Amino acid sequence: MNKGLLSFVLAVGGLAAFHIGLFPVFTPKEIGWVFNRYVYYLLFAFYLVFIHVGLRLKPPMALRALYVWGMGFYFYESILYPPVPWTLFITYMTMWSIGTFLYISQDPLTFREFRAPIVKVIVGDYKLARMVIFVALPFLVGFGTYKALYPHFEEPVELRTVHPAPPATTRVHGKNYTLEGLNNPFRTDEQDNYKDSFPFLDADKQEYMKSVTEGGTIFFQNCHFCHGDQLNGLGMFSHVFNPTPANFIDPGTIAMLRESFLFWRVSKGGPGLPNESTPWSSAMPPWEEHLKTEEIWKVILFEYWYTGWHPRTFDTESSAGKE
Amino acid sequence: MLGKKTGSKHAAIVLGLLVAFAIYLLPGMVGEVLAKEAFAEQVFAEEAFAKEVMADEAAKTGEGKPEVEWSQDVFYKDWEGNPLKGPVSGAPAPELVETDYNRYGFAPSRMILWIANQQHLYFGSFVLAVPIFCMIIEFIGIRTKETDPIMSKKYDKLAYDLMKVSLTAYSWTAILGGILLFTFITLFPGFFKYLAGIFRPVMHVYALMFLAESGVLYVYYYGWERMSQDKFMKWIHCSLSVLLNLIGTVLMYLANSWATFMQAPGGIDEQGRFLGNIWHVIHSTLWNPVGVHRILGNIVFGGGIVGAYAAYHYLTAKTEEERAHYDWVCYVAMFIAIFGLIPLPFAGYWLMKEVYAFRQQMGITLMGGIMAWLFIIQAVMIGLLFFAANSYLHNSMSRVKGSHRYMKYCKYMVLLLIVCFTMWMTPHTIVMTPAELKAMGGAQHPVVGHFGVMSAKNTAVNLMITCTVLCFILYQRANKKIMVPWATIGNCWIAAIFVGAAANIIYLGVYGYFLPANQRVGLSVPQVSTTLTTLFVGVGINISMFKDSESFGEITWGSQSKVGTYAIFMMAIAFTWLMGLMGYIRSAVRLFWHVTEVVRDNSPDAYTLTIGEAGKMLTFNTLFVWVQFVVVFWVASLTGKKAEVKAPAGVPVPAQQQE
Repeated sequence: MNKGLLSFVLAVGGLAAFHIGLFPVFTPKEIGWVFNRYVYYLLFAFYLVFIHVGLRLKPPMALRALYVWGMGFYFYESILYPPVPWTLFITYMTMWSIGTFLYISQDPLTFREFRAPIVKVIVGDYKLARMVIFVALPFLVGFGTYKALYPHFEEPVELRTVHPAPPATTRVHGKNYTLEGLNNPFRTDEQDNYKDSFPFLDADKQEYMKSVTEGGTIFFQNCHFCHGDQLNGLGMFSHVFNPTPANFIDPGTIAMLRESFLFWRVSKGGPGLPNESTPWSSAMPPWEEHLKTEEIWKVILFEYWYTGWHPRTFDTESSAGKE
Repeated sequence: MLGKKTGSKHAAIVLGLLVAFAIYLLPGMVGEVLAKEAFAEQVFAEEAFAKEVMADEAAKTGEGKPEVEWSQDVFYKDWEGNPLKGPVSGAPAPELVETDYNRYGFAPSRMILWIANQQHLYFGSFVLAVPIFCMIIEFIGIRTKETDPIMSKKYDKLAYDLMKVSLTAYSWTAILGGILLFTFITLFPGFFKYLAGIFRPVMHVYALMFLAESGVLYVYYYGWERMSQDKFMKWIHCSLSVLLNLIGTVLMYLANSWATFMQAPGGIDEQGRFLGNIWHVIHSTLWNPVGVHRILGNIVFGGGIVGAYAAYHYLTAKTEEERAHYDWVCYVAMFIAIFGLIPLPFAGYWLMKEVYAFRQQMGITLMGGIMAWLFIIQAVMIGLLFFAANSYLHNSMSRVKGSHRYMKYCKYMVLLLIVCFTMWMTPHTIVMTPAELKAMGGAQHPVVGHFGVMSAKNTAVNLMITCTVLCFILYQRANKKIMVPWATIGNCWIAAIFVGAAANIIYLGVYGYFLPANQRVGLSVPQVSTTLTTLFVGVGINISMFKDSESFGEITWGSQSKVGTYAIFMMAIAFTWLMGLMGYIRSAVRLFWHVTEVVRDNSPDAYTLTIGEAGKMLTFNTLFVWVQFVVVFWVASLTGKKAEVKAPAGVPVPAQQQE
């Protein structure tokens, strides 16, 4: 058997066997260190390498390129979980396609080898292939057009800015606050040296933990329904909101922001957002109407204490102009 | 024999570049330190003077109003953190009204000004970059004169040819500058009046410096032949290029001060009144990072344009000699461009750090707010630059005899680049439909969501740069059989440096997730240091291993693959577009301010463009400037053809091709 054909048969057959036979085994409900989809993917990659090295198959460059491209497609389409949004999928596949092209074109020889079957198909050396491809091509284009024109009923994609720039000043409970340089009045220890203390247990020992405890109480009375009792944005009501409530555990939310930003955001809620953040698509109420100023600050203190993040601060040496 | 020759040539090129670059950046770095000391003394003197004046005023209470009014600076602070005070020396910022803006019917004023500005900046960047190249290339030519006279002559001729193109581009730049000035004055007279009121002396010095630049440029270009006659005069000629670059840099820094003042003003009070210290106005917080960023950007941009010019001639060359010559020019141009590209992201980080430090609001608008999507596009373009650079290196390496030893690693380097690039451009906020959001279980993806923050991005970009450096090292040694007795140890050291660097970069990146944001930002310093260590130490060890090396065969200039040549075009166009994009972002982040928080833009154009509209403008500017470049190169080639008749027939054979 032609080695290229053998390689193709083994690769496709192997994929079918792996996907139907092994994939369900490696994707149990309780994900383990070994039995998970990423280990499965590595096993399949290992299988591909093994059969090619073991049987000394040297498939032509075009087939190798197809394998490389296909491995990327398989990973982003079936392995990566939960599935990534379409825009990200397209982005990743574009990257992977560029990478495949770089792999092909790293050397004029490999590029020539890659082009050879394509050129042969076009000039007619592979007559059957040319016939199949040139007959199938209009149908493929037609199918693509049909898919594109077929009406869809999905909600449109929106470019929502999650962390808009805050205003320079904000007015809460009749008082103007300049956000630049505004700090949490209850943050008595800048270094958060209370790792072994716990709110509700150590509240009497330290002034700082007392504030954290009070913030926690307010949080569980008001915020946890949406933001979750683990502050991961998965509260009991979170699933009915679009967009979903913020996940404070994520390194890209409060960990990146100053406390003054949170103060403004919590006080003004969804309606107080600028247009770029589509204020109509945030369900968070303006908490200044329900909480006192110091209560807002304490909730913020609690959120940072619970998640272990430290609010964003900036070096003062350059910003202060003392150069 | 051959190995020794090529080895020393490479050593001379690389060391020459490193030294020249270090010297070039030295004034900025030293200036930073000196400026701090000088500033301390200055603040002390000003405060003392202010106290004296106030004491006098207090003593004269009841004797009429004080003659000098003192006000607080919007940016500068004294050592106790209080706003610095200065004597009011200018009019307050005007409240601009409709009559302060003029319009044409066919396009918004802001668009017209944008085009005028961008075109001038593109050309300005090119004419500032070319003298840097000429300085380096001429220096290498002088240094190699005794060891390799043919190559030396070739370097000298290349520098001269580049200068010839630059001369045409120089007058073009001046014309575009004039158009920009007239556009600004006629369409934004109210704002120009305010800016001119503050920067009046700077503008005059700028004009005079332009005169000096022109003078030195003409002497440098027209004196080329005459000053090449004897060794001493040649060194004087080369020194002129240093002077030319110094004046060019000062020019650029002066012009930068207007833009950086508009973005992050200093030296004025809240009403926009000048406080008497022109240095404060010039040296606002973004002045230094923008300057360094632009120097590096100019080098890459200039390298890209010269590379594209050479690539075009390479593809259309009719003789083997021509092909060999332009292939070699492509190599030199790409070498310089990649040399500038490697530290460019670090300068960008410094600039962004200063922007964040100036105003959190401005930083968030850029990186997380309304401009964030443009930064994603920027990430794509930077990735394309690195891909193009690596593709060029791979293809160049493949035509070198002996490269088969290293070509097998290329695919792994491509894989690393792609993985890093995937991390680099994964957005923090993903565009998705509500259904997709539900399917994902939240706004952040549990796996790739981790790539959306700076820890991942810093790690990715440092690894990409390290990979490019490794590729360059392999390219350098592709045709050499290392003969030094310590070859094994040297190889082990290079391997250890790269493996250690990768481990350190990844460790620091992961460690960043466990640190507060303010400390995490600091991790970029050791990451960058690690990357630069691989660059300097790795390349240094590599070059020193070329001593007594044997050659597998010469580099056959003129045999570059088409893919490698197209990569140069891609790099040049991508960089032009990227430069326009970043310029737009930097300028548009002021939103509805002419001068941030001081002079409000009350024109009907004070809105932020949609991403699509901005993209169209950037594409137009890119196409427009490339049309002009083609014209400029054509004009320059008119004189070139005449010169070619006089030149001896045949292009000198590169050193690599000589036995």
